[in-house]
Amino acid sequence: MGGVEDETEPATKRMKLSSGVLRSLANGSSGAGSVPGFSGDLMARPLPIEGDEEILGSKGVIRRVELVRIITKALYSLGYEKSGAHLEEESGIPLHSSVVNLLIQQVLGGQWDEGVATLKKIGLDENIVKSASFLILEQKFLEFLDQDKVMDALKTLRTEITPLSINNARVRELSSSILSPAKFVHVGSSSQSSTRAKSRSKLLEELQMLLPPTVLIPDRRLEHLVEQALILQRDACMFHNSEDKEMSLYKDHQCGRDQIPSRTLQVLQVHNDEVWFLQFSHNGKYLASSSTDRTAIIWEVDPHGELSLKHKLCGHQKPVSSVSWSPDDSQLLTCGVEENVRRWDVSSGKCLSVYEKAGNGFVSCRWFPDGKWMCFGANDKSICMWDLEGKELECWKGQRTLRISDLEVTSDGKQIISICRETAILLLNREAKVERLIEEDQTITSFSLSQDNRYLLVNLLNEEIHLWDIQGEVKLVAKYKGHKRSRFVIRSCFGGLEQAFIASGSEDSQVYIWHRGSGELIEALPGHSGAVNCVAWNPTNSHMLASASDDRTIRIWGLNDLKMKHKGPATHCNGVHYCNGRT
Amino acid sequence: MGRLFVVNLEGKIYSCKHCKTHLGLCEDIVSKSFHSRHGKAYLFNKVVNVFVGKKEERLMMTGMHTVADIFCVGCGSIVGWKYETAHEKSQKYKEGKSVLERFKVSGPDGSNYWASHEAHVGGSDADDV
Repeated sequence: MGGVEDETEPATKRMKLSSGVLRSLANGSSGAGSVPGFSGDLMARPLPIEGDEEILGSKGVIRRVELVRIITKALYSLGYEKSGAHLEEESGIPLHSSVVNLLIQQVLGGQWDEGVATLKKIGLDENIVKSASFLILEQKFLEFLDQDKVMDALKTLRTEITPLSINNARVRELSSSILSPAKFVHVGSSSQSSTRAKSRSKLLEELQMLLPPTVLIPDRRLEHLVEQALILQRDACMFHNSEDKEMSLYKDHQCGRDQIPSRTLQVLQVHNDEVWFLQFSHNGKYLASSSTDRTAIIWEVDPHGELSLKHKLCGHQKPVSSVSWSPDDSQLLTCGVEENVRRWDVSSGKCLSVYEKAGNGFVSCRWFPDGKWMCFGANDKSICMWDLEGKELECWKGQRTLRISDLEVTSDGKQIISICRETAILLLNREAKVERLIEEDQTITSFSLSQDNRYLLVNLLNEEIHLWDIQGEVKLVAKYKGHKRSRFVIRSCFGGLEQAFIASGSEDSQVYIWHRGSGELIEALPGHSGAVNCVAWNPTNSHMLASASDDRTIRIWGLNDLKMKHKGPATHCNGVHYCNGRT
Repeated sequence: MGRLFVVNLEGKIYSCKHCKTHLGLCEDIVSKSFHSRHGKAYLFNKVVNVFVGKKEERLMMTGMHTVADIFCVGCGSIVGWKYETAHEKSQKYKEGKSVLERFKVSGPDGSNYWASHEAHVGGSDADDV
């Protein structure tokens, strides 16, 4: 793909010629300014033959010619024209072959027919030549129209564009544009020369995407490679959990374990019995917990990351199994075990509504993203949709949910997710009326949905947590092991920066944290004195994790080096702040 | 205690004698000809709402087996055992299956079974084949 070489002039002479051509272009003789990122030099020193290429680097995978050309391209892109030209001269490696340079000049200079002819000399695949010719001739056509040369435009369309026999839909659009030019011409009429130049440089970008990278190096290629290297380093970093963690080109990126919330900053002791469920509000300013003591509690997170009791929500006659925040965090749903669902006002703590269904108890609750509808799972295995007034709008009967089941609604409101059988999760598309299944070999105990609605975290009876990709065809992505579960509903969650971690409760009183990508267990946090039933990661603070336990407490975990600012009456022990609800 | 994860069965159910937690279905019984030191025991293809104890080697009437006791998730009482591996070829069919001791469970009609003169000392798992 190196291109045709037929010149034997010395490099210096070629350079003079090229800068002369560039100057004439810049002076407006063809209405096109020089375009950053495209070498203006018609240097025709032959590209080295592939076999002769020198290999650089300890791994033997970098070709010297490629590296030099990419650096040259980067220099031109950064505006260092002289340095770019100097590197071409000194290395003897031209950025582009003379034929490609000629093509660039012809495109910028509006020499369309010559450009099409030059394309054929590069030695490209026939389809690429056709597609590139189409782009060039389309530009020729549009500029003719722009100059009111309708007959020339028509001739170009008939005798040059149409015979290419590609992109017929666009050909029809172009022929329509002859009748109503205003709708189609992208070149513009005011300050024609500059607009045309812009349009031609845009054409060059389009050609660049079409031609092989060996012929025309993609724009910002070096930036892209460096960025890619940094992102790969970040993704491989087990502990990366901070937006402001600066990444440098000077050294390989590596975060320490101190980026993971692993120290108890607060112990919340208000519930009078086991705490079963936790969920942070979407804005991260509140935490809701529910307990066997038949209450739910709304905790407020202050700007320093300290939690205090806001409201204790009483009214349920049975243990409260789960809670759900409204999309705007102004309301909260609480669900009693096979009982009713209650809706609460977050600011006042008042109960706004109680939802009941004759002869049935509810087992799960979720908001729809519009905040006007709710979704409930009932113990007759149905899932129903209700409005705020308590009117049932729709009901999916049959084996839709189990008596102990989680429920999720995707953020577009289209999919309802529920455990429909011991070993299967139902993905119910309520608009398309399509049902998909995630089939497991083991009994499913709970699940949670990622923020981007793409992944589902499934807890199994056999002490495994499975990560499923549910976008398109469902597929198992990863497995996480290490925690203990034999009798209880143990919940896990996504969390951390870009949800890069998986956290889970465990019956051995510890909180487990895995790196989501690698599946590696990175922390097992002791502290609780009973089974940890549920964990929740603050969606707006990647360093805040909460855990709920049978020991009746909620623990707030943060970074090891965090200096907490405490206020109000509280007891301290080893830097842990105990809150008994009176602060 | 945590929120118990309990599967609710439908049909003819064998449940824990103490806490009534569902354990198995009549249709999942493979054989009723097993015995424990307390009397009759039934081999089930599948049981639910149990957690598995430590694996250990046990010499039974039909040879050496790797087994683990199984406990009711509701009350924690031992209700039988699970066959992890059978060392003899003829006993391989038991692998992955579980035995519920009849005197530990209530039958589909609510009936209990009490250990009687049938009880075998030493524990046996003789099948009817």
